[in-house]
Amino acid sequence: MDEDDFLEPGQGMSQDQRAELGLGALVFVVVGLLLAMLAFVVHEAWPSFAHNGIAWFGPGGSLDQQIQAIINSGQLKEAPVYTFHAWALIWSTILITVGAVAIAFPASLFIAVFIVEFAPPWLRGTLEPVVRLLASVPSVIYGLAGVLVIVPFIGNHLITQSQKASVTPIIQLSGASLLAAVLILTVMIAPIMIAVFVDGLRAVPRGWLEGSLALGVNQWRTFWKVGVRTVRPVLVAGTVLATARAMGEAIMLSMVSGSVPFAPNPVDGLIFFFEPSQPLAATIIHNTEALNSPPMKATLYAIGAVLLFSSAMLSLIGWTAKQPMRRYGVIA
Amino acid sequence: MTLRSRVRGLAALTVAIAVMAVPAAAGATTLFGSGSSAEQPILNVLFKAYNQLHRNVKFNYLPDGGNAGVQDVQAGRRLFAVNTRPPLPSDADTTYFKLFLDGLCVDVNPQNSLSNLTVAQTKDIFTGVDTNWVQVGGSNLSTTIDPVGRNSAAGSYTFFQQAILGTQTQSSNVAQETSDGLVATAVSKDPDAIGYIGLAHSGKGSGVKKVTLNGVSCSQANIKNETYPMFRYIWGVLPTNRASPAVEKFFDWVRTSKQAGQIINRAGAVAAFNKK
Repeated sequence: MDEDDFLEPGQGMSQDQRAELGLGALVFVVVGLLLAMLAFVVHEAWPSFAHNGIAWFGPGGSLDQQIQAIINSGQLKEAPVYTFHAWALIWSTILITVGAVAIAFPASLFIAVFIVEFAPPWLRGTLEPVVRLLASVPSVIYGLAGVLVIVPFIGNHLITQSQKASVTPIIQLSGASLLAAVLILTVMIAPIMIAVFVDGLRAVPRGWLEGSLALGVNQWRTFWKVGVRTVRPVLVAGTVLATARAMGEAIMLSMVSGSVPFAPNPVDGLIFFFEPSQPLAATIIHNTEALNSPPMKATLYAIGAVLLFSSAMLSLIGWTAKQPMRRYGVIA
Repeated sequence: MTLRSRVRGLAALTVAIAVMAVPAAAGATTLFGSGSSAEQPILNVLFKAYNQLHRNVKFNYLPDGGNAGVQDVQAGRRLFAVNTRPPLPSDADTTYFKLFLDGLCVDVNPQNSLSNLTVAQTKDIFTGVDTNWVQVGGSNLSTTIDPVGRNSAAGSYTFFQQAILGTQTQSSNVAQETSDGLVATAVSKDPDAIGYIGLAHSGKGSGVKKVTLNGVSCSQANIKNETYPMFRYIWGVLPTNRASPAVEKFFDWVRTSKQAGQIINRAGAVAAFNKK
């Protein structure tokens, strides 16, 4: 680059000042767009919330029939029907997200510690690019692998005939289940967590670890007590990011979760893990064809508003949790 | 390189791209359509063949679902739509044309020896009355039935409901898939499964086996003479007041020409009005 790039005078402002103004304006545009989007989604969703009130979030009735009635009322131009009780969808979202994050978190933490501190250089050189590649695989690919491999395997080898017979005709144990959804979602979000954790662990000042090692503390204990403890804010940030991804995942879950608005019941014992369900985001995917029905459109926007609100709350909780940890040093 | 010369380079590149883009657009009309995703494979072949006959006509088709397509036409966002169900009251200001025929087949896994079902039996399976293959009869299986269907917002489901279920909805043990291809995959992977799948996705190589309905097989001949119980028309949709002449001409070609008829039959649907 030539010198004159930086020395060009422009209407009495330095290049730095212009950059500051320009970028600042961009940030305002982005924040403005975000607020406008929030307002738009809530506005579109309002009829559904207004009609159901707090019962929107509660259980009651067959969701399938409610959705059918909502769609038909719009397409046949009858009086709009809005009755919608989303508990089965919310419960499914909670189960699948919490399940996947609960498995992915410890696994990712151990893998990240291994990559940063214990892996020999050649293995580290292979593992890191593989993890970053996995983090960028589109979710529909995971969905395909689920539909073609995992779901048939669970359906044909893990689920027995007597289990199937015991729940029919209420639900079908086809292999598309809570188990398949949690397993695949775990594989999907773990690379994101690992990538964030690895970056955090790398940022731990070498001197802090060396101080501990010099006192005769072994490598494992040093890294666990000094390294991992220091990056706790990073662990929170990575988990929040991965949880948001898990909550909003739609395509893959619509393919492997069973896509029946049924609330899996832990009292059912082993069958619980084989029960189908349908999370919120997958419900939007399933019903986009019915967007021409105005009440269904409002219902889908209401689901979207709930997802948006949950993501915002998640970020807020993550931010709050990080505050007391900040004094330890590494900041995410 | 200085900033100025980089800006100049960028400007030159932009102009070059614009110049290259112009000849492709000049003189050609692009007909924008949207609608059914199930019929997209057949429409794509028709678009290609029509473009070879009329070099200046191109197509841009968005498979956003039949219902969404009609809405696009009503809003003026698209010139035409393709839908798999007859007109509804919500389709105001649009005109429907029958383009060609399609059939919805009932398929089982090839490991199932079942060869025929009645409409009543099919209804019992998909409403949760019959839950074991023993209850149906004619099958070598004595396992739980795994019915597979489409999601309730799909045009294919609406059609299946009207043709088979009557006023009832499919029962909660029916696994719901978002596309025809996914239903076929699910049935091909599960020996106990049964599903309703479009003719184009039920053929050889799909991994599923068609069963006859009331003794009538789901074939092009039986759909054409309307003896197969689940035949349906595929509809072209135009705005009533401002229909594009170019699209009308294309619809006429699809409905009547011999060439379009052969293409439709080869692609897995059934030509209805085309010259022999």
